[in-house]
Amino acid sequence: MDIRESILPGIGIKYRIDAESGDRIVIIIHDDGRRELYHFDYEDLEQSISMTTLNDQEARLVASIIGGMTYKPKQLESVEMTFDDFIIEWYRVESHYASVGKSIGELDVRQNSGATVIAIVEKKGMKYVNPGPEVIINDYATVVVVGERDQQKRFKQILMNGSG
Amino acid sequence: MDHLVFEVGLAIALIAAAGLISSKLRFSVIPFYILIGMAVGPHAMELWHFDFRFIESAPFIDFMGRIGVLFLLFYLGLEFSVGRLIKSGRSIAVGGTIYIGINFTLGLALGFLSGFPVAETLVIAGITTISSSAIAAKVLVDLKRTANAETEMILGIIMFEDVFLAVYISILSGLVLSDSSSLGGVLLSALIALGFMLAVIIIGRKAVPLLNRILRIRSNEVFGLVVFGSLFLVAGFSETIHVAEAIGALLVGLVLAETEHAKRIEHLIVPFRDFFGALFFFSFGLSIDPLSLGGNAIWLALAAVVLTLFGNIWAGMLAGRTASLSPKASANIGLTIVARGEFSIIMANLGKEGGLLDIVQPFAAIYVLILAILGPLLTKQSKPIFNMLNKIFKFKDPRLRKEESNSA
Repeated sequence: MDIRESILPGIGIKYRIDAESGDRIVIIIHDDGRRELYHFDYEDLEQSISMTTLNDQEARLVASIIGGMTYKPKQLESVEMTFDDFIIEWYRVESHYASVGKSIGELDVRQNSGATVIAIVEKKGMKYVNPGPEVIINDYATVVVVGERDQQKRFKQILMNGSG
Repeated sequence: MDHLVFEVGLAIALIAAAGLISSKLRFSVIPFYILIGMAVGPHAMELWHFDFRFIESAPFIDFMGRIGVLFLLFYLGLEFSVGRLIKSGRSIAVGGTIYIGINFTLGLALGFLSGFPVAETLVIAGITTISSSAIAAKVLVDLKRTANAETEMILGIIMFEDVFLAVYISILSGLVLSDSSSLGGVLLSALIALGFMLAVIIIGRKAVPLLNRILRIRSNEVFGLVVFGSLFLVAGFSETIHVAEAIGALLVGLVLAETEHAKRIEHLIVPFRDFFGALFFFSFGLSIDPLSLGGNAIWLALAAVVLTLFGNIWAGMLAGRTASLSPKASANIGLTIVARGEFSIIMANLGKEGGLLDIVQPFAAIYVLILAILGPLLTKQSKPIFNMLNKIFKFKDPRLRKEESNSA
């Protein structure tokens, strides 16, 4: 990959990125905080075919998504989104976990960890939003949990060991 | 002086209306400010309470326009940095030299061939050489051209022009504003101007740590007063030794740009620059009687417009080639910086202060009006224009030629 930085006096900074895929992307950081992303035509590298404008805050969010800081699609383990102290995490249930086959009520998640399960997506595609205590945790399901950091820690213990 | 505030209010309302119209039409505001000034003024009528002749307030509006020039140049100095110019590289120095060389030569030729004296010719060449940074930069952002390959070259040439402008005004103000008519006297005052500039820059550089400490002021009010005070003092002092006050303002900007407070000063100054800048264009319009525009001024301006278009496209193609840009990108260079604006009018005002021929003012007005409107349009339509030129000239792409010879 080839990145070139240049200063645009009175406007901001320009980065030209030539990716391995052959894509040419140009990112302009305006002095007022605006970011512009340009994507160029494969055939004619002088012709931009699409562009996006983001404000400062949006750009930071997008950057953290691209950088894998908020969402790691493969590992699904340490996915974090923070709202002050609250974190949303994704847990992938491995088959050897002690919690497999038990219901949320049996594990007494809320009592033991303080965290709340907000969704379960099963391997076969079954989805539970805001699951009740009767919903059973199956292997290879993805459990989405909201809670503070230490509550998340305790929840993971429960998931792996079957109890707090 | 009973109605002073009312008249000034009327003037600002007119300027605001012009600004609103221009943004509705999505045009650059500069020509509209000038036009609205030309539409009213000493020759206009008086309607009941509304005195569109601005007689009571004329000196006052004029003075606010002068302040506008100070802020424009002060901001230019603040934005400019030598480090940036060096960083931006050799190709830009080459491109800038080509651009100024061609356009300045054409301007000189126009002046001499039209039979003007030396001083007028030099002012006219200045008017036709320096493009409007404000319009060009705005057009680039508005048309989403900032990502293009030629953008660095365009901004580099603009920056190069700013340097040229600074040096040129200082020489010219020595030449035009000095009272002496002998060559020695003129040289002396040009030398004084250059010496003064160098002195301010050198002392300013040494004084940066001191300035940093002095400007560490918490109160915004006092901070603003200190900055404005130094700006007006230095600019006013320059005037007393026949250096254009605009140069003084530019120098203060250059010096303050080196301090750690540059960003804060910039924030402080932008609203003032915009407000007084608008008044500057308006007062320039006021000084021109539209009925006097006929005849020579128009023909001269039209000739200058044609020369500038020609010079810009030519210079753009050459400059683009030196940076091995494609012909299309090169055409964009010339067409984007064809707009003329604030600096051309500053040059014209310099001519007026120096008591040059009356034709310079209306010439500059028509010339700037045409190019400030035409420039953004040409930039927008650069693709069809390039295709048309390409049919005639059949530009060769330096990069394609290389590939052809490789494959052969």
